[in-house]
Amino acid sequence: MSKALLCSCEDVTTSEVEHAIEKGFCDIESVKRFTGFGTGMCQGKQCLTAMARFLEAKAPLKPEQVTPFTPRPPLFPTSMATWASASFDPQNAPAGGIPPTLGLTAQAMKPTAPVKSKAKIVIVGGGVMGLALAYNLTLRGETDVVVLEQGYLCAGASGRNGGGVRMQWGTPTLVTLAQRSIELMKRFARDLGINVWFRQGGYLFLAKSKSIADRLEKGAKLHNSFGVPTEILTPDAAKDIVPQLSMKGVQAAAWNKLDGVIFPWPFLWGYAQACAKKGVAVETFTQVTGFELSQGRIAKVVTDRGSIECDTVVLAAGAWSPRIAAMANVTLPNEPHRHEICSSEPLKPFLGPLVSVLDSGLYFSQSMRGEIVGGMGDPNEPAGMNLGSTMRFLTRYSQALTEQLPELGHLKILRQWSGPYDVTPDNSPILGRTPGVSNLLQMSGFVGHGFMMAPAVAERMAGWMATGQSDELFERFTLGRFAEGRMEREDMIIG
Amino acid sequence: MPRLSPLQSPVTIDFEGQQLEAEAGEPLACSLIANGEDLFSRSVKYHRPRGPFCMTGGCSNCLMRVDGVPNVQTCTTLAKAGMRLERQNSFPDATVDMFAANDLVFRKWFNHHEFLAGIPIVEQVMLRIARKLAGLGKLPDKAPDELPPAKVEKIETLIVGGGAAGLAAARRLTERGASYTLLEREPVLGGRLLASAEQGLASVYEPAANQARLGATALGLYADDGQAFVASTWKGQLHLIFFRRILLALGGQPTLLPFENNDLPGVFAGRAVARMIRRHRVLVGKRVACVGEPDEARALAKLITSIGGEPVAVAAEPIRAHGLQHVTAVTVRQAGTGSAPEQKVACDAIALCATVSPSFELARAGGAKVIWDTRHKVFVVEADAHGRTANPNLYVAGEQRGPMSTAASAEMGLLAAEAMLAGGAS
Repeated sequence: MSKALLCSCEDVTTSEVEHAIEKGFCDIESVKRFTGFGTGMCQGKQCLTAMARFLEAKAPLKPEQVTPFTPRPPLFPTSMATWASASFDPQNAPAGGIPPTLGLTAQAMKPTAPVKSKAKIVIVGGGVMGLALAYNLTLRGETDVVVLEQGYLCAGASGRNGGGVRMQWGTPTLVTLAQRSIELMKRFARDLGINVWFRQGGYLFLAKSKSIADRLEKGAKLHNSFGVPTEILTPDAAKDIVPQLSMKGVQAAAWNKLDGVIFPWPFLWGYAQACAKKGVAVETFTQVTGFELSQGRIAKVVTDRGSIECDTVVLAAGAWSPRIAAMANVTLPNEPHRHEICSSEPLKPFLGPLVSVLDSGLYFSQSMRGEIVGGMGDPNEPAGMNLGSTMRFLTRYSQALTEQLPELGHLKILRQWSGPYDVTPDNSPILGRTPGVSNLLQMSGFVGHGFMMAPAVAERMAGWMATGQSDELFERFTLGRFAEGRMEREDMIIG
Repeated sequence: MPRLSPLQSPVTIDFEGQQLEAEAGEPLACSLIANGEDLFSRSVKYHRPRGPFCMTGGCSNCLMRVDGVPNVQTCTTLAKAGMRLERQNSFPDATVDMFAANDLVFRKWFNHHEFLAGIPIVEQVMLRIARKLAGLGKLPDKAPDELPPAKVEKIETLIVGGGAAGLAAARRLTERGASYTLLEREPVLGGRLLASAEQGLASVYEPAANQARLGATALGLYADDGQAFVASTWKGQLHLIFFRRILLALGGQPTLLPFENNDLPGVFAGRAVARMIRRHRVLVGKRVACVGEPDEARALAKLITSIGGEPVAVAAEPIRAHGLQHVTAVTVRQAGTGSAPEQKVACDAIALCATVSPSFELARAGGAKVIWDTRHKVFVVEADAHGRTANPNLYVAGEQRGPMSTAASAEMGLLAAEAMLAGGAS
């Protein structure tokens, strides 16, 4: 039929972009995420200009607000065999990358109106944690809430992760939280009216050493005790699940068919839309610049669009949390660690589960669009906020992945990007009250699994905040535990 | 008929069982067009018919399975005897694709965010169908041959792009006795000098053989250990080229104009039509509507006339393309006259002449600033008259700075070379 295409790779029409504009998505980065334009084989070569012109005319964007989305390497689709042919020094730390993301905090996109001057609760961070919390507060009748997001929706780690969701964890707390999250994800479309493409294809963990195999076995016993049907498989049995996999060097596998993969972005749109309907102010492109402290509490949150007087402040800024906490003279032990990730050309579905080699930190799955999305942690990655991309990552990942699935040597990488893990000393989150600042609540430190925990954690936190009834989650995982020497070690971390 | 010259070194390729004649070394997309075939693929959601558009590896319209490897851009893959080409993502085949029903059901667009969201059971069924329809090509048949280990090189000056700007810079560096390495993605040097419809083009400067690499694609500008390098493929090997200074002269990519059915097979970028005539001696159709940007449209019309074709609707504004699986007509109106009457013009192909979109990606990765050019409505790399950018070791020249003639590109290349010679590098 008569469609006018703005992005032919992903079949995005002018009508679809008009709809995105109606929904409030006007800048290029947001429209890219909402419509998928620029994420296909051409990576924007053909469509970016056309889209910028269209938005400038229709959105309308002022000329200084017309900025390109961050170009993602490589410049042309390039096979994993090519990347795998390079070598890397395992001793070196990956340093550089492309410069900080354009548009993450784009000054030009900042709304001109001031933020409201008073609110009961201010949530710092408009990622999945902050938005899910705000949504759950509205379910409990609390709508006098402001959510502050420094960039566009999905700009932070919530928009940069691989979408893996699993119940296979090493501590009872995370196993049960993940179980609840998965329940909530399954009904997300029913509750919030937006598809999140949750596909329970399972998680297949491979172990190449005795110690990792033992860890999987120990984990399976724990999972079974909570009704999670994790099975320990022989390499042959694991090969039945993904016949293309090479089992060379694999000693054992762990398999839970109820784990799966979701599409992260719609969660943020869904929560944000539901919040806005209830009167919560979700303020994007708005930065916290400080706090006004008085008598051991935060009196006002200061932003670059004015101050907000409030009763309670929740810090849910993920890897950016230590920087924000410092403004209230609070030291958080979290450190941002870059994790790189990439996506490939779309292939017809062949890969059911998310596969992870726990020894090396390799993981990969096939998205609902057919792309192979995956990554691999780098043990040498230094702490620090770095959203750049390296070739070293492509080489390490391609070597590891083609060892596991040799046919994928032909697979062409379309784009690579990175996101910050929010790493705590014991890999467990920081929740609950803050010593010294009575009305500052913590909700960060989820390492690389905040996305999958958010629906369940936010539900519990809203309940705890609204009723004041005690909940061990917010007593065990406090910031105070580090000073008290009470670590809560989680060791089922990929990468 | 579409071939303007007899084949020099004919080879046979296999297109879904048909044996077709091709010129060895030409892009596969040209071979198919010369054989009258322009339905190359089906689009990802609506299964709309697609044919080649850009001819520069900048879109997804020409993807096919080639020798068992999925999603190969046939516009940049060169013909060799015995190659096997198959179309993808269609059932039962690309000419009669059942899933094209999607295009009829969702007339304007498909709201995948909200479609059937949250309806019990139905949403599960939809998930399963969506999963089945996802993806383009199938998993490759077998693992690829291993590549030789990547080669690490250290050089003084790297030039990316062997068009008017890059070659002018190369000439000036040679004149001053400076060494450099130039990467050109295509198998020949010259860029627009050999491929555009522009009049009065200069001759192509030939750098010494050891300084220019043909068929060398720059893939990325990285700085993994803090030191900048370009990753590039050349002759089946990955090269990591560390440099002291770099000149980026990659030109631009064809720009899409959003009019109805702008993705129909037979709609080409204007530059793609010119390139196929001049480089590959293939004319995309007898009657070619040369629509869009007036200067380029008129130059293209002149080129088409000179080889016996018939340009129509020259420099008109396109409103909609007509045809089921191939362009048969275009509705246009006279450019710049919003209220002028629309006119339907019969044609075999549409050449979409539009301001080129500068290839700013590598410059941006290297720390140069990219800005919106409010006059031409394209993103350009910000630089001074000598091509100096925010990164003191990174220079740009030619159409990365905005649309311009080859003569202007060459002038910028010269100035950038002067600046590189004068400035040294930190």
